[in-house]
Amino acid sequence: MIFFQQLRGELRKLFGRPRSWMGYGAFIILEAVILGVYKLDSIQKDGHELIERNGLEFQNYYSSLSMTFMMILLSMFTLGSIFFALVGGDIVAKESEDGNLRLIFSRPVTRFRVLLVKYLAVAFYTFTFVFIVGISGYLMAVAATGWQGGLLVVQPLMKVFAAFPTWSEGASRLAVAAIGLGVSMITLSSIAFMFSCFRIKPAAASIVTLSILFVDMILKAIPFFMPYEEWFITWRMSAWIFLLEKHIDWAKIVESYTLLAGLNVTMFVIGWLAFQTRDFKT
Amino acid sequence: MDATPMLDVRGLWKKFSGKPALEDLSFAVRKGEIYGLLGHNGAGKSTTLGIILGMVEPDAGGVTIGGHDVQRERAKALRKVGAIFEAPAFYEYLSGWENLRQLMAYSGGFDEPLAREVVERVGLSKRIQSKVRTYSHGMRQRLALAQALLPEPEVLLLDEPTDGLDPEGIRWFREFIMGLRADRGMTVLFNSHLLAEVEQMCDRFAILREGKRVHEGPIGDLSEGPPVFNVDLEPWGTACGLVSARGGEVIAPGRISLPRALDPAAFVSCLVGSGVQVRAFAPVRRSLEDLYMEIRLHGTVVDPHALDR
Repeated sequence: MIFFQQLRGELRKLFGRPRSWMGYGAFIILEAVILGVYKLDSIQKDGHELIERNGLEFQNYYSSLSMTFMMILLSMFTLGSIFFALVGGDIVAKESEDGNLRLIFSRPVTRFRVLLVKYLAVAFYTFTFVFIVGISGYLMAVAATGWQGGLLVVQPLMKVFAAFPTWSEGASRLAVAAIGLGVSMITLSSIAFMFSCFRIKPAAASIVTLSILFVDMILKAIPFFMPYEEWFITWRMSAWIFLLEKHIDWAKIVESYTLLAGLNVTMFVIGWLAFQTRDFKT
Repeated sequence: MDATPMLDVRGLWKKFSGKPALEDLSFAVRKGEIYGLLGHNGAGKSTTLGIILGMVEPDAGGVTIGGHDVQRERAKALRKVGAIFEAPAFYEYLSGWENLRQLMAYSGGFDEPLAREVVERVGLSKRIQSKVRTYSHGMRQRLALAQALLPEPEVLLLDEPTDGLDPEGIRWFREFIMGLRADRGMTVLFNSHLLAEVEQMCDRFAILREGKRVHEGPIGDLSEGPPVFNVDLEPWGTACGLVSARGGEVIAPGRISLPRALDPAAFVSCLVGSGVQVRAFAPVRRSLEDLYMEIRLHGTVVDPHALDR
């Protein structure tokens, strides 16, 4: 019971900070831009060609669901990663820097408990962020193109191409994929959280996290590393795309998410150990 | 006052980056006692408080609060402890009330009626729902006091709590703490470099210098020893003879000490009766500041009679 009070308190703090909301605003702007680009005649023409070339009906697949998928795909690893790194990097380091942690540690509570509560709060933030961004993107896409239509999934890097002709099938599949994406992005927050537990500035924790993410993405894109792509964190984090395959290969998905879960636990433990050995003093 | 040590600090050693911060520091605070920890900046006061609260790990030694070892059973030891730091860092974007709720979630839960009572007691009721970023320094210290009192502590740890407060605020704070001790028998450890505050509040005190305890004693001891007076007497030679004849001592020109048993008023009458002109005769009270400066200058307490020698 007291654990939930602490978690609720941590979430209040997290959602009470203006910085936590900046991400939502930035995402809505980005989504509007992406939507605007998709409404351009030249882009529509390219989309038309791609869809018809694959023997599909343009009117059915140039839809709010397909646009939502593209918005999430294009924005989450770019803008999303920045905000998750910022929030994850802040969660411990900022309170340590500001001195808030001293007040907490004058209480009869273990460091492990404080970190666990903070980690769960940041994981919750990450997960809900993905969902809220997905819902807001979908609502904007509905306003632009109407709610009807199926879902077309084109992701050459993960070798996924799938079409769901009905709205209900497409929407449910997209919702499942959003859950997968939300869980995937927790790994990014976990990396930022781990660095946040070290004696470094909050901004440094965020920058190091983003550096790791971008280096991982860049190396993965180099042809030499293509055969080893499954060893890269960002490839594993992209496993949510597999939830959009026509026939879901659960073994592949379970493997990736087990690896990510192991990575998350490892990050938490490293962060905790680093945190445990620190002295807190003015 | 109960002689049982409520807070027992034993042989603390601590180094930061190879530099000693504490060297074999020991002291005990009895139940219901207000104990002052004095020292210059960097003397080790805050490190001591950090170790008492389990925020800093000592290299050697340990602390017990109410019989519980802080290093081994921190949660039990801190259950009835409240702490205030110099410039306490609250969540600026939350209200004072929400800050209390946040902190109490880590202290066994938020008791709203108790919180209302404590907020009322510290005089923050009208502004408790305002965001902390709108608070003055004095209001922040009141909020700090409220958060420290909410777990209904038996031990209160105060780290430079009156720094930056105006004289009115300092007085209010002092009287509040004295009231807590009087009403609830609270044990208080008071870290400060404000000598007058320590002198007015504390029963006993210790002086730290470069991580070592260089003095410990009751505040009452400051005025022990033969009373000393600053005098302006003419003729000086006759006056000196009378001082010696009555068992006193001439410390320096213009400064004498008299036996404690001798009534100063009677001695002044004697001086006047012997034809000595008395222009000034004022007792010198040996303050904590005198003692502190002696230790700062000499590394130890010197003979009070030798102050001006």
